[in-house]
Amino acid sequence: MASYVFAQNVPAAEYDRSLAWAALALAALGAVMVYSASISTAEASRFSGNNPAYYLARHGLFLGLALGAAIGVFLVPVRVWQHAAPWLFLGCIALLALVLVPGVGREVNGARRWISLLVISFQPSEAMKLAAVLYAADYTVRKHAVMKRFRKGLLPMLGVMLVVSWLLLREPDFGALVVIAVTAFGVLFLGGMNGRHFVALVSMLAVGFAGLVLSSPYRLQRIFGFMDPWSDPYGKGYQLSHALIAFGRGEWLGVGLGASVEKLSYLPEAHTDFLLAVIAEELGFAGIAVVIALFAWIVLRAFAIGRQAALRERHFPALAAQGIAIWLGFQAFINMGVNMGLLPTKGLTLPLMSFGGSGLVVNCVAIAILIRIDWENRQLARGLPA
Amino acid sequence: MSYAAAPVPVRLPIWRARFVLFAFVSAFAVLLGRSLWLQAVQTGFLQERGEARYSRVLEVPATRGRILDRRGDALAISTPVKSIWAIPEDLKATAAQLRQLGQLLGVEPRELERRLTGTSRDFVYLKRQIPPETAARVAELGIPGLYQQREFRRYYPGGETMAHVVGFTGVDDIGQEGIELAFQASLAGASGSRRVIKDRLGHVVEDIEAIRAAQDGKDLRLALDSKLQSLAFTALKHAVETHKAKGGALVALDTRTGEVLALANVPSYNPNNRARLTGAQLRNRVITDLFEPGSTLKPFTVALALDLGQVTPETVIQTAPGRLTIARHTIHDAHAGGAMSVAQVIQKSSNVGAAKIALSLPREEMRENFRRVGFGAPPQLGFPGEAAGKVREARTWRPIEQATMAYGHGISVSLIQLARAYTAFARDGELLPLSLVRTDMPVAGRQVLSAETARAMRAMLEAATQPGGTAPRARVMGWRVAGKTGTAHKLENGGYASHKYIASFVGFAPASDPRLVIAVMIDEPSAGQYYGGAVAAPVFAQVMQGALRLMNVPHDAPLTPIELPGEGEEAREST
Repeated sequence: MASYVFAQNVPAAEYDRSLAWAALALAALGAVMVYSASISTAEASRFSGNNPAYYLARHGLFLGLALGAAIGVFLVPVRVWQHAAPWLFLGCIALLALVLVPGVGREVNGARRWISLLVISFQPSEAMKLAAVLYAADYTVRKHAVMKRFRKGLLPMLGVMLVVSWLLLREPDFGALVVIAVTAFGVLFLGGMNGRHFVALVSMLAVGFAGLVLSSPYRLQRIFGFMDPWSDPYGKGYQLSHALIAFGRGEWLGVGLGASVEKLSYLPEAHTDFLLAVIAEELGFAGIAVVIALFAWIVLRAFAIGRQAALRERHFPALAAQGIAIWLGFQAFINMGVNMGLLPTKGLTLPLMSFGGSGLVVNCVAIAILIRIDWENRQLARGLPA
Repeated sequence: MSYAAAPVPVRLPIWRARFVLFAFVSAFAVLLGRSLWLQAVQTGFLQERGEARYSRVLEVPATRGRILDRRGDALAISTPVKSIWAIPEDLKATAAQLRQLGQLLGVEPRELERRLTGTSRDFVYLKRQIPPETAARVAELGIPGLYQQREFRRYYPGGETMAHVVGFTGVDDIGQEGIELAFQASLAGASGSRRVIKDRLGHVVEDIEAIRAAQDGKDLRLALDSKLQSLAFTALKHAVETHKAKGGALVALDTRTGEVLALANVPSYNPNNRARLTGAQLRNRVITDLFEPGSTLKPFTVALALDLGQVTPETVIQTAPGRLTIARHTIHDAHAGGAMSVAQVIQKSSNVGAAKIALSLPREEMRENFRRVGFGAPPQLGFPGEAAGKVREARTWRPIEQATMAYGHGISVSLIQLARAYTAFARDGELLPLSLVRTDMPVAGRQVLSAETARAMRAMLEAATQPGGTAPRARVMGWRVAGKTGTAHKLENGGYASHKYIASFVGFAPASDPRLVIAVMIDEPSAGQYYGGAVAAPVFAQVMQGALRLMNVPHDAPLTPIELPGEGEEAREST
């Protein structure tokens, strides 16, 4: 019966074109919008040498790097990732620790998140997102026999996640922590972790996050800023109120590419965390719908690819693909939710689109891994070696 | 498919994947819904909030109206200029650029440096109101952080000639003096406004709507004739220089319309460059300065006596021995005369004669007469700082005061009041309302004397300019003129200064049908001559001749050269 199913599902193409195009479309639109959103900031700032194309040039460079990395990664068999997963994870933990070392980590706006590599700087927490997905997938497959047990199944993961969390909170990078935790436990959940454990864990995490939020005034502020930005539109609600105004100005079809007023030094972080607001203003609801649809498509495809892999008993690729779906989908959802005032401000970028080198490269690498998994699926479907 | 390889078969629960996928789809659907809510439903509210942030109402400046003379020649115009300002923090210029900038702006590079570095402000004017061509060359330097602002600068083509009438505006284009101040509202117009979107740094990025169109200021056409004005100013300046006087003033009135055709003051100033301006230069002596006029007031006493029937022009008054003592005070004549007619009292300007006539009049009537011809009240030109002058209450007059007031002492008037008062003689007893703005319409005045008295006074005043009178130098070839000299001691520290005089002449022409009244006043002539007939009358003659020619007034006298009297032949007065 299984072979019958496979025979029916022999795909025509060698790789998932729609997924590749969706990712490329997002990256291309992202590049255009990063340029549009950053022109006036770049022009006004002495830091960027008053060069309006400052951010565009860097984003282009990162995009080139990311595409190169993606092509390289596509050539790497998935099992290599599986073997490398624990070491990658360990390496990322080491980098996260290194960031905290004074003199190595670079501090920007009170957060120590970057390691300077000559001309560009590298953000370990972005790499950690990918490493966490791969590690969680590998962990789940390795520990499958004891997965239902608390001490052997859950506790080790809980332990390493606590270490990662602690390191991320020291930076601090709360947004990355949320994404990594959700992705890692999402993979465990999909991989068959004990349902009662999962419920308990979610409750514990909820309580924990609440505790963290309530213990730190700046997080508290962020939480309450989004509830009603109009109560203090020039203080706590400043950024969000401007993002919402950008949405309102955009209406159905937007004010036109390049015509955003909000990006003219009103909306902070227009080219990074709040890129979506500029898209909303310039391209309107139509632009937002396209972005949401493309992300939804990527998530759907990733789950389908995972399902295909699972049907072939390729458990690590299956979990890795679905983990990547959770990661990118969740981060995109959070970022968009923040832009629309549905969620508190996190400091998370829009995957594949926002300005930010490390994030862009790692996102593209993740997409490449997805495509590789799918390619291997199709090779197997054709009866060829993966 | 074999499950034997692993002791516990790996099984990925598909329902969990479906659950997560469902959660994602729902989450994205929520995002889509929220986006729709924001972009299709809440747009009005959000856009309103947005406009509150970055829409601003900009003022659209109105162009200030021009000031023109009666012929339409410009006396004050607004020219577009640029002001150069900088944000010191943003300004990046090489030493060479800074040197070039300094050259263009006429500012030392060191001074530029000081202004740019020695401040924490983020807005510094480097130079205000430079010509547009210079501003264009400054822009060509391409220095970042350097900005220009469009402004208007008032330019006065008439320069010092017109300065006191036209006045000037300050750097913010608001009238400070003269007509510029008096007609500020109508000249300035009303600035308009428009709503724009500004970026956070203040640049206009989008024009939304015009709220109110700017209403440009109205042009103002003055009664002033710039040719006559320039003639008057030149003549006056020449006289002030020749006689080493402190200053001088002249005003010319049209006797048909009451328009002020010329109004000149010396010293003057250049309104286009007001550095080192002194108060003396700024004074509009014609309108704002008061002085004791002296003999130019005698005709009003005589006119009242004629009106009241106390005397006729032929009534004989004994002025010998040229002195009159009233309660310890003695009135003198410059040249003792004997018995003379009332006409001769005017012609020869006898103080004793005038005093005797005055003493025959009720003091209340005398005061009322002064008030009637406009003394003691502002002339209501609408000009800033009009002096009212002072005519004391009649019941406080002692006899000596009543006597001296007959020849213009103990009373203060402005030159324009004096000139206006003479319109009553020129116009058969009608006192004309005056206008600085062109009307070109004959105007009816208030009857303050009987027509017969006015005519009689004209004859007497004409005689004063004839040989044997005090002002033969006031005569003009081709026209008959009439007028009266004044030579008054200046008031100083509550008493009369013995060697400081104000020489004056007020007259009109043609005597047969007067068209112009001109009053001239020279303050402290100190080059030897100080009599009104010698100092002020020639200025009157010169300006009157030019005016009559400019106005194409028909001759009423033969065109024979005027013989000026030799030394000592003309009558003099002591006030």
